[in-house]
Amino acid sequence: MINVLFFGAIADHMQKRECLLPGHEPMTIEEMVSAVGCADLQPLLVAVNQVQIHDTDYLLHAGDEVALMPPFSGG
Amino acid sequence: MVNVVRIQEADFSIEAEVDALRATSKRIGGIATFLGCAREFSEGRDVDSIAFEQYAGMAEQALRALRREALERFDIIDARIIHRVTTVQAGDQIVLIVVGAEHRKPAFAACEWLIDRLKQRVPIWKKEITPEGSAWVTPHP
Repeated sequence: MINVLFFGAIADHMQKRECLLPGHEPMTIEEMVSAVGCADLQPLLVAVNQVQIHDTDYLLHAGDEVALMPPFSGG
Repeated sequence: MVNVVRIQEADFSIEAEVDALRATSKRIGGIATFLGCAREFSEGRDVDSIAFEQYAGMAEQALRALRREALERFDIIDARIIHRVTTVQAGDQIVLIVVGAEHRKPAFAACEWLIDRLKQRVPIWKKEITPEGSAWVTPHP
C-alpha cells in the first residue's frame, strides 16, 4: 500500500487528509496522482518520504508515504 | 539548549533569540533580523486570523537545510529560524529569522535569502480567515 497525504487547498478539495492506495506493484507519481483523482489539480507539488520529487515518472513502491501539496505559502 | 531551528505553536521572544545568537560567538559584529507578522488586511479583505498548516517533519527538515545552506553560502557566523504553526490573530508574530555575522552586509543578505527561500521551499501553508469566509493564500513572489 502507498499512503497518500493531502495538504492545504488539496485536502479541502479532496475532503480528506489521507488515503491508502492498495496493491504492491510499483506505480509512477503520474499514475498515483490519477488514481487518487488529483490529475486536474495544478500546480501540484509532490514529496515522497518527505523529500520533494519533480520527476512524475518517479516510481513509487509499497510502504512509501507520498504528499500531494499546493505551492507553499509560509512566512 | 533550545534548537536553533524550530516550528512551534507558541509565540517567541525576539530578544531571547537575539541573546541566544549573540552568546554563540564574540566574533559577531552585526545581527540582522526579519520578523513576519499577521496583517489585518490582505488582497482587499479584512483578515481576522490566519491558520497555519505544516507537513510535520519535512517542514523542519527543510528549515534545517536552509540554515545549513545559508551558513555555506554567506560569510555569516550563525542563524536561527523560528516559525509558528497555529492560528494567529492580526498583529501576532509568525516567523523570525536572526542572522549574526562579523559585518552587516552578509547578515542582511543571508536574512533576505533565508526568508525568500523559506517561502519557496518549506511545506507550510496559511489560510486567511475573513468575515466573509476563509481562503488559502497563494504564494507571494
